[in-house]
Amino acid sequence: MAISLLNPKAEVARAAQALAVNISAAKGIQDVMKSNLGPKGTMKMLVSGAGDIKITKDGNVLLHEMQIQHPTASLIARASTAQDDMTGDGTTSTVLVIGELLKQADILIGEGLHPRVVTEGFDKARAKTLEILDSIKIAIEINRENLLDVARTSLRTKVHQILANVLADVCVDAVLAIKSKDKPVDLHMVELMEMQHKTETDTTLIKGLVLDHGSRHPDMPKRLKNCYILTCNVSMEYEKSEVNSGFFYKTAEEREKMVQAEREFIEQRVKKVIALKKKLCDGTDKSFVVINQKGIDPMSLDLLAKEGIMALRRAKRRNMERLALACGGIALNHFDDMQESQLGYAGVVYEHVLGENKYTFVEECKIPQSVTILIKGPNKHTLTQIKDAVRDGLRAINNAIEDKALIPGAGAFEVTAHKELMAYKDTVKGKSRLGIGAYAEALLVIPKVLATNSGFDAQDTIVKLQEESRNNKEPIGLDLASGQPINPKDAGIFDNYIVKKQIINSCSVIASNLLLVDEIMRAGMSSLKG
Amino acid sequence: MSAHEILTLQFGHYSNYVGAHWWNVQEAGFRYDSPSEINHDVLFREGVTLKNEVTFTPRLLLVDLKGSLKTLPQEGELYSLPSQSAPDQVEIIAQPPEEKNEFQKDIETNATLTKIYDLERQVRVWSDFLYTRFHPRTVNTVQEYQHDNENTPFDIFPLGANLWKKDQFSEDFSDKIRNYIEECNSFQGFHILCDSTDAFAGITVSCLEHLNDDYDTKPVLGFPLVQPSTNPIHLLNLALCFDGFAEHSSLFVPLTSKPPQFNYIAPNPDLKYHTSAILAATLDTLSLNYRLKSAKNTLIDVCSDFATNGRKVATASVCLPFPLKTNEDFIDCLNTWEGHLSQSVTPWCDINPDNSLQLVVLRGIPERRLKKPPNLAEKQRNYPAYRCNDLKEMLSYFIVCTSYGTKSEVTVCGEQMAVKTPFPGFFTERVGNTGDIDGGRSGPVEKINTLAGLHTGKFVGTMLETLSQELEKIKYKKYHQFVSEGVENDQFRECFDRLLDLKDCYEDNYLI
Repeated sequence: MAISLLNPKAEVARAAQALAVNISAAKGIQDVMKSNLGPKGTMKMLVSGAGDIKITKDGNVLLHEMQIQHPTASLIARASTAQDDMTGDGTTSTVLVIGELLKQADILIGEGLHPRVVTEGFDKARAKTLEILDSIKIAIEINRENLLDVARTSLRTKVHQILANVLADVCVDAVLAIKSKDKPVDLHMVELMEMQHKTETDTTLIKGLVLDHGSRHPDMPKRLKNCYILTCNVSMEYEKSEVNSGFFYKTAEEREKMVQAEREFIEQRVKKVIALKKKLCDGTDKSFVVINQKGIDPMSLDLLAKEGIMALRRAKRRNMERLALACGGIALNHFDDMQESQLGYAGVVYEHVLGENKYTFVEECKIPQSVTILIKGPNKHTLTQIKDAVRDGLRAINNAIEDKALIPGAGAFEVTAHKELMAYKDTVKGKSRLGIGAYAEALLVIPKVLATNSGFDAQDTIVKLQEESRNNKEPIGLDLASGQPINPKDAGIFDNYIVKKQIINSCSVIASNLLLVDEIMRAGMSSLKG
Repeated sequence: MSAHEILTLQFGHYSNYVGAHWWNVQEAGFRYDSPSEINHDVLFREGVTLKNEVTFTPRLLLVDLKGSLKTLPQEGELYSLPSQSAPDQVEIIAQPPEEKNEFQKDIETNATLTKIYDLERQVRVWSDFLYTRFHPRTVNTVQEYQHDNENTPFDIFPLGANLWKKDQFSEDFSDKIRNYIEECNSFQGFHILCDSTDAFAGITVSCLEHLNDDYDTKPVLGFPLVQPSTNPIHLLNLALCFDGFAEHSSLFVPLTSKPPQFNYIAPNPDLKYHTSAILAATLDTLSLNYRLKSAKNTLIDVCSDFATNGRKVATASVCLPFPLKTNEDFIDCLNTWEGHLSQSVTPWCDINPDNSLQLVVLRGIPERRLKKPPNLAEKQRNYPAYRCNDLKEMLSYFIVCTSYGTKSEVTVCGEQMAVKTPFPGFFTERVGNTGDIDGGRSGPVEKINTLAGLHTGKFVGTMLETLSQELEKIKYKKYHQFVSEGVENDQFRECFDRLLDLKDCYEDNYLI
C-alpha cells in the first residue's frame, strides 16, 4: 500500500475495520449525549481537575467541553457545533441522528449490502423528508404567543422548566422591542449583561441599557432623573503624545509647558460640554449624563462633577450604537456646534454597586430600540449557563421570524416522517429502498430518547404514537408528562423550521461520508483505537 | 500619588511561565514596613471582593489552552463564594482532581515557605509555581484546543488569528481589556508577552490590531518570546508575528528562551522553569525605568525614543546577578570589569554597545557602596571615576568611557530583587545570601543585585538579517496548512520583504 511505503509508521485501518471504527465512534458520542435530550433530559455537571464547575444540558456546550479525542467523534462534534453556529439549536439531535443512521446502516451492511447502496437510499430519503417537512410546516403570524411557544420549547431543552418560562418571556419581549417592520432583526442590539446577584429567576428585561461601569468620581450624582444623554467618542484625558516625550532632548521646563498647553486643550473640551449643560438644564428639572467611549481623566471628572453631570468613560464600542437606538440622539465625534437634537433622553439613570463592580442603568427611554437582558444568578457557572441559553433562545425567536413558519415539536415531525417514508419506500424499486427504511427508523431515535428520558418505555411509546398517527391526519407528538400521544399544536410545542432542515441535511451528508470511508490512515501520530 | 497604570497581556504557555515568575518576584518584593521605591500600583490593582475584602492583584489578562492550568481554578480563589448544592437531575462528570504539589499546598495552609522544594522536578505547568493570586478576570482559556495534545495542535499562526475572528472570544477578551482600562485614572499603555512560534502569535497580532483601533493613543510594548529553532513552521510563525508587531506595536523586544552563559548562575537550558526566570528578572529590572515612584518616563517616552525612524525592534540584555563582591565597592567592581556589562537575551543577537542607544537599569546596590570616603579611599582615589558622586553618574561615566558614540539613559534603584522560593535556586555557590559574590551562604539566596539594558543599534539589523536568511531558505509553498487556514503565499512574500525593509532602518548610514 502506498502510504505504508511512504511512511512505514503510518497506521492503517481498512474496509470493514474502518467502518467499525467510525460506527463505534458515532455510537459512543451518541451514548454520551442521549440522556440530555429534551426538557426531561438530565443536566451534566462538568468538574475540571482544578474544581471549576460547569452545569449544562446544552449539546453544543457539552461538545465544546468534552475533550473528544477520537477523530471520527470529533468530526461529528464539529458538524453539530456548526449546526449550532447556524441556528442555535439542534446539536444534540444531530449527534443522535447521525449515530442512529450509522447503527441502522451497520445492520444492513452486516447483511452484505454495499455501503454505496445504503447511502443512495439515504439520499432519496433525505429529499423526501425535506418534502414532508415543507408539507407539515405551519405558517405563523409573528405575534407574542407564537414566539413564546417556540422560545419555550427551545429553552426547556437547555435549562430548568421554571427558568425556561422566565427566559422565554424575557427573550420574546426583547426581540419584539427591537424588531422594526420589514427589517431583519439585529440581535446585537440586545445587550446581555451578567450580574452575580440574587437568583437566576430574577433575570429581567431592561427596556434601556445597562452598562458595566459607573462614574469614577465620589461627588458625581448616583441617580438622575429626566436626563439628556450625550454619547461621544472624544478623549477627555490628558495624554502624553509622542511629540512632547523624548527624555534626551528637552528640559523639564519645556516639558512642563507642553503639558500645560495640552491640558488646557482638554479643558476647553470639557467646558464646551458644561456650557451645553448650562444652556439646556439650568433652571429646569432636567439633568445631564455624558457617556464617552474614550477616557475621562480625574481632572475632567472633577470639573463635570462640580456641575452635577454624571460622566462615564470607556463605554463599549457597540454600546455607542445601542445608546443611540435606546435613547435617541447620535454619537458625537467632536464637541463643535452641539445641538439639543444630538442628545438622547432617558427618564432615569442610576448606579448600582456590587463589590468592585459598578453598573449603570439607563432606563425609561422613550422608544427603546435596543434593550438589555440583565442576567442574574448566584454564581459564575449559573450565569454562563443562562447566558448560553438566552443566546439560543434569541436565535430561536429570530429563526421563527425569518422562517415565518414553525414545525410541530415533541417528536411529531419524526413520527410523521417515519410514517410517510415507510409509504414512500414501497414506491421505490431496487435495493436502495432498504436505505430509505433505515433512514426512517433512524429518525425515530428522537421520540424514543424523549420517552426514555421521561421514564417511559421506548417501544411502548413508539407503538402508541404510530397507532395514533395512523388514525390521525394531524402530526402527533409525545406528552412527556403522561407518556400519551398529544397534538403538539394544542400544547404549544413548536420547533424551528430551519433547525429541522439543517438537521436533516447535515446528518445525511455526514453519515453517508462516514459510511463510504474504506480506509483510515494516520501518519506521524500516536495510536489509533477503535 | 497617582500611578500611571499599565495593563499586561500574556499570550501562550511560555509567556505565562515568564509572567508567573515576574509576578512572583514582584510580590516577593512588596514591602510592608517601609515605603518602597517601586510604585507597585503601575502593574497591580486594588480591588474589593463581594465579601468586602480588599485584594491586590496583577492588572493582567492571560491566555492559555484548555487543560494547561492544572490545579489553578480559572476564576482564581480570591473572589470565590461558597458553592451551592447541585440542582437535581444532574449527572456529574468529574475529571480526577489535580494533585497540588507541596509548594501549592503550603501556600494554601499559609505555611512559611522556607523549605526547599524540588520545583525543578515538580513543575509541569506555570501554575505549579505561581505564588501570586489572580483576579477572576485574568485567566482566559481557549476551549477549542487542548494543551499538550497532539490531536488538537495549536501550532500555526492563522489558527490563532481565526480564533480571534470568532465573536465570542474576541468580544469577551476586549471587554475585559476595556474593564481594566476603565478603572484606570491615567492609563499609560500595554505590556504584551507572547509565544511567537506557535498559534498564539496569531491571537496576539489580532489583539494588537484591536488595541490599535480602540486605544490608538496608548503605546504597546511587546515582548515576543522566541524559541530558537530551525523548524520552518516555527520560523514562519515568527515571521508573521514580527511583522504584526512591527506594524501594530510601538516597540518590541524579542526575547529568547535559550539563555546565554552567565558567570554566577547555572540554569538548565531545557527547563522552562529556569529559562523563564531569567527573562522575568530581565523584565522586572528593565521596567523599573518607568515603574519607580521617582520615574519621569512613561511607556510612551521609552517607545518613542527607541522607535525613531521605524526602528520598532530593540534588544534586551541582563546581568544576573550583578557581581558586586563582598567588601568591594561599586567603583572597584567597574574598575576590574571585563567585557560587556550584560548578556543579550535577544535571539541571534550580540549586543555591541558602540553606536547605539541604550537604557540601563541597575538595581539593588546601595549608594553607600559607591566608593569609600576620601580618608579611607586609598587606591580608589586614583581612579578617574572617583569624582562621581552617585551610582547613576558613575555608571553613565563608565558607559561613556567603554563605548563609542553611545547615548545612554541610566536608572538606579536601591531595592534588591527578591529571589526567594519559588524563584529557582540556580545560583552558584559563590553567590551569597544577599547577592554579594563570595558573601558567604547558608540556605537559599534571598536577594540579588541586577542590571538590565534595552538597546538599539546596528546589531538589531544583523539579527533581522539572520532571520531573513533563514526565512529565504524555507519553501513556504510546501506548508499547505497555512494556506488552508487562510494565509496566502503572497502574504509570506510581502511579510519577508517588510522584514527586510525593517532591517534597512538599522543601517548606520541611514541616519544623518
